[in-house]
Amino acid sequence: MEFIIETSGLTKKFGKDTAVSGLNMKVPKGEVYGFLGPNGAGKTTTIRMLLGLMKPTSGTIHIFQKDLQKERISILKRVGSLVEQPSYYPHLTGYENLEAIRKILGVPEKRIAAVLELVGLSDAAHKKVKGYSLGMKQRLGIAASLLHDPELLILDEPTNGLDPSGMKEVRNLLKRLAEEEGKTIVISSHLLSEIDQVATTVGVLLKGKLIFQDSIAAMRKQAQQKIKLRVSDGEEAWRTLLSRGMKVDFKEGAVFLENASDEKAAEAVAVLVENGFAVYRVEEQKSSLEEIFLQMTKGERDK
Amino acid sequence: MLPILQSEWFKLRKAKIVSVLFTGPLAGFLLGFTIHGDVPEGVNPWHILLLFMNVIYALLFLPLMTGVLAGLICRYEHQAGGWKQLLTLPVTRGKVFTGKYIILMALVLFIQLLYLGAVYGVGWAKGFTEPFPLEIVWKSIFGGWIASFPLVALQLWMSILFKNFAAPLAVNAVFTLPAILAVQSERFGPYYPWGQPFLMMYIGGGDGVFFVPWEQLLLVVGGSFLVFFLGGYIYFQRKAV
Repeated sequence: MEFIIETSGLTKKFGKDTAVSGLNMKVPKGEVYGFLGPNGAGKTTTIRMLLGLMKPTSGTIHIFQKDLQKERISILKRVGSLVEQPSYYPHLTGYENLEAIRKILGVPEKRIAAVLELVGLSDAAHKKVKGYSLGMKQRLGIAASLLHDPELLILDEPTNGLDPSGMKEVRNLLKRLAEEEGKTIVISSHLLSEIDQVATTVGVLLKGKLIFQDSIAAMRKQAQQKIKLRVSDGEEAWRTLLSRGMKVDFKEGAVFLENASDEKAAEAVAVLVENGFAVYRVEEQKSSLEEIFLQMTKGERDK
Repeated sequence: MLPILQSEWFKLRKAKIVSVLFTGPLAGFLLGFTIHGDVPEGVNPWHILLLFMNVIYALLFLPLMTGVLAGLICRYEHQAGGWKQLLTLPVTRGKVFTGKYIILMALVLFIQLLYLGAVYGVGWAKGFTEPFPLEIVWKSIFGGWIASFPLVALQLWMSILFKNFAAPLAVNAVFTLPAILAVQSERFGPYYPWGQPFLMMYIGGGDGVFFVPWEQLLLVVGGSFLVFFLGGYIYFQRKAV
């Protein structure tokens, strides 16, 4: 597999505090890499190092198979980025903000109108950015990252401050860029729900350590899924299932089936029906990212 | 380098700099226009005019306004993550720093030329009949520009260092105000960098290429330029953005 970003033992210390520790991040070409972790996990620090804004304490970064330390400029020509909170020049209009960047990137002027159109800011193009809403600033930042049609996009919390419809727009845009134009995208977030519809690969950062890195399908598998069963006599049903050696819980009048594969769920329902229980509801209880984190960190501690 | 300069100028010219560019020359003009000194027999009134105008312009306004310009060229980078965005573009920090410095020096030269215009304007308004002492005036204008090289470098450094717009200006004022005393001292004056714009514009000085001796120019102006420019350059390389 070809990796667009590959870090090895990437570490950043601030005095005694270790913000990022021994990161071996691998971002495959053409994937949307969801970089997840709670606030303060070290996502932004990592992204800053990936963009050369900050020097690692130790470890190496290769982007496009080139050493970032040695070939920063030629790498950055092919990277579009958005780092933490939107960056902009408040005294300029949206169009002028992009013009200031365009002059450095040396791309044709018509790209400005094109990217403004892409993020839906054409109407506000000639208004001063200090009057923009947070969502508009965020979209301007995304437009700026797309000006030079980069092969790799590194976006730090790009949906921050957007309303649900704006979030959906950004997600669709990113999906299109990845699927139709083959761009590789790294997108960080503290919410799984924000990226689980676009990300194909996931890296989970916790306290500066990458505790998980695999496809999103593998992550879903790891997240223990529970099935909630509402039946006629909850407590009795729970005992019945328990006596069959199944991992079940009884809470708030419902039976919870842990680690439930399709087969296990079918078996449980069959047992209940055979024993004369009426099954009202069979629901999947999706673990939230926080629960997944807890599970992952719990696993980490138990090892 | 050229794209960086173009981008920088584009950002700066939209930052309301016109009034800053005109303040110093205008102050010189007003002072020159309102003052009425007796011109002794046989003395060129242009010389007297320049002496008077330089006091307020070279000693105060030129050094202070360079600080304001340096503050402005960094202000929009500090306000909302500008540094971050700029430095994730394919540019080196060295070129960004040098680019901002070049723009500032070009503007200071422009201010000096405006001041030249102000001097000429006052003389014209007052109806001086004596020939304009072009050679001496050029020497003064260029001398003042060269003397501001280290000051601009330090102000750029301070403006990158402090997020707050007023802090570098305070630093500037702290060093500029004592220049009023320093230039009157024969012992300290020649060594005080903030006094150099005045000394290099002071037409009563020596008659070399500039109004100060070469040793003073190289040692004080050149030396402090190297220290301030390299200090700022190296600081910017390491600054966490």
